[in-house]
Amino acid sequence: MLDIRGLRKTFNAGSPDEVRALRGVDLHIKAGAFVVVIGSNGSGKSTLLNAVAGGFLPDAGQIKLAGRNVTRWPEYRRAKLIGRVFQNPFSGTAPHMTIAENLALAARRGQVHGLGWSLSRHLRQAFRDRIRALGMGLEDRLDNEIGSLSGGQRQALTLLMAAWRKPQLLLLDEHTAALDPKTADQVIRLTQSVVAAENLTTLMVTHSMHQAVNLGDRLIMMHQGRIIRDFSAVAKKRLRAEDLLEQFNEVRRADQLDPGAAEMLKALYV
Amino acid sequence: MNLLLGSFTIGLILSLLALGVYISFRIFNFPDMTADGSITLGAAVAAILLVHGVAPIGATLAGAAAGAASGAVTGLLHTRFRINGLLAGILVMTALYSLNLHVMGRSNVPLLSTATLAKEAETVGLAALGGLPTLHCFGWEVSVCDMAMLVFTFMAVVVVCIGLYLFFRTNLGTAMRATGDNQQMIRALGVNTDTMIVIGLALSNGLIALSGALLAQYQGFADVQMGIGMLVWGLASVIIGEALVRSRGLAMTIVGAVMGSILFRLMVAIALRWGLNPNDLKLITAVFVFVALILPGLTAKIHRRKEASAHA
Ligand SMILES: Nc1ncnc2c1ncn2[C@@H]1O[C@H](COP(=O)(O)OP(=O)(O)O)[C@@H](O)[C@H]1O
Ligand SMILES: [Mg+2]
Repeated sequence: MLDIRGLRKTFNAGSPDEVRALRGVDLHIKAGAFVVVIGSNGSGKSTLLNAVAGGFLPDAGQIKLAGRNVTRWPEYRRAKLIGRVFQNPFSGTAPHMTIAENLALAARRGQVHGLGWSLSRHLRQAFRDRIRALGMGLEDRLDNEIGSLSGGQRQALTLLMAAWRKPQLLLLDEHTAALDPKTADQVIRLTQSVVAAENLTTLMVTHSMHQAVNLGDRLIMMHQGRIIRDFSAVAKKRLRAEDLLEQFNEVRRADQLDPGAAEMLKALYV
Repeated sequence: MNLLLGSFTIGLILSLLALGVYISFRIFNFPDMTADGSITLGAAVAAILLVHGVAPIGATLAGAAAGAASGAVTGLLHTRFRINGLLAGILVMTALYSLNLHVMGRSNVPLLSTATLAKEAETVGLAALGGLPTLHCFGWEVSVCDMAMLVFTFMAVVVVCIGLYLFFRTNLGTAMRATGDNQQMIRALGVNTDTMIVIGLALSNGLIALSGALLAQYQGFADVQMGIGMLVWGLASVIIGEALVRSRGLAMTIVGAVMGSILFRLMVAIALRWGLNPNDLKLITAVFVFVALILPGLTAKIHRRKEASAHA
């Protein structure tokens, strides 16, 4: 389904702010898999998802999606295959447009935007039914500006939008990080049901150890632009949040063991 | 009364300019400076075609099409070559100055002896009223010619407004609005935002050039200088319109831009009647827009201060 080989990306190459965000990532994800990504801040998780979504061209490597080599496709073209929810609740919706208009745009993800009406009675009814199932009381607010909703409500709608047309791949980048714990739980439950309903292939970044051990059927850990751990379904089942924290600390200790050794390691790897 | 009638007509004609500015500035958040050049381009192309005997409708539409092309060029400079939007507009505007001189062949093309939409409207008006040259309306005597032109521009503006409203509710129009609202989101939904910006600026400058083509026919000449400061004029109209309707709904903002344009033209006409020096007009328009732009921030600040001192 998703096949990433030798992916590299350096930001601001050659300048003092040079960041080697991806240092050779290989990742193969089967159709229908739900893969959770964890890793410390700045380890390259968002960069990996952006590379898959087409936010920039990688320096090296190849990205194949649903059998097609999409490495050089522009972002808008990949959107035909990919549904996305961002960390920032403001990123995934057009704030000054109505709920119905936002959903209508999502209902045409990857389609040609011609001169047909964007909203039909039929479509509005479909939106109302689907939104009612959220239980957020939004079904009567289809014509309200989406910017008037709370962050949690917007993330829930963004999730619906990402999955309205079944995507080949669903990308979730810490999509509950900006929410309070209770709302985050709601959005996570919605995520599980949306993913399960259509058996979506999913790549989800999270900062929550709890989510990392309880969600998905595979867990990868990133560090300094590389994938350093990869737990398959069986190994993941035995994992507890404490184990993950221990893994994190291990990595951190390895980094800090001895400044001299760390320098040497850097010189070797970087 | 004739002052009122004239102001209404010019206000309506310039409301097309206001709608164009509304599309670039408000819908796309794009400070498009092309306007000053494209309004003249519309006038120049229409005027020269009229002089060469092209039918008024055809000449007017050709003027609008030329404006649309110039807007598309600004869009391409910005999206293809990643030139800053403001600069892209300035480049095209500057180039259009020479182009307009070439189109017209001189700096001013009079239209007094050629057929224009204004004269066609007059003919239709006279025929409809059985040849009466004047008309009594609420106790005033108005010339059929002025009235006919007002009715004609009104109808044209209504058609454009309805067309725009419907367009912005199609899939394409909705994607264009979303491009101005949240580019990241609409790209993630598969829309090529570059294309949207090019089409949007073409639409915007098409309307602005249409406004110029009508203005030239109404005032009876096209002049290479007529575009100077028009962008700010349109912006002033949009701002007044927003203050009038206080709504972000699509229909209301479109109507607001038209109302703002008419009201602004009326205010200017009255100020001129009271003895405002026409040379100061652009200065005052610019100051007006400046004040209107900083006012919301200023009132919010004062509000915050008051609140802070109330809490202290
Ligand atoms: N567009 C960019 N320009 C410059 N540096 C970037 C850019 N995007 C990410 N980075 C840098 O790349 C590194 C990895 O970032 P990111 O992938 O966002 O980490 P995270 O794992 O926290 O999501 C960070 O050091 C970040 O500052
Ligand atoms: Mg991140």
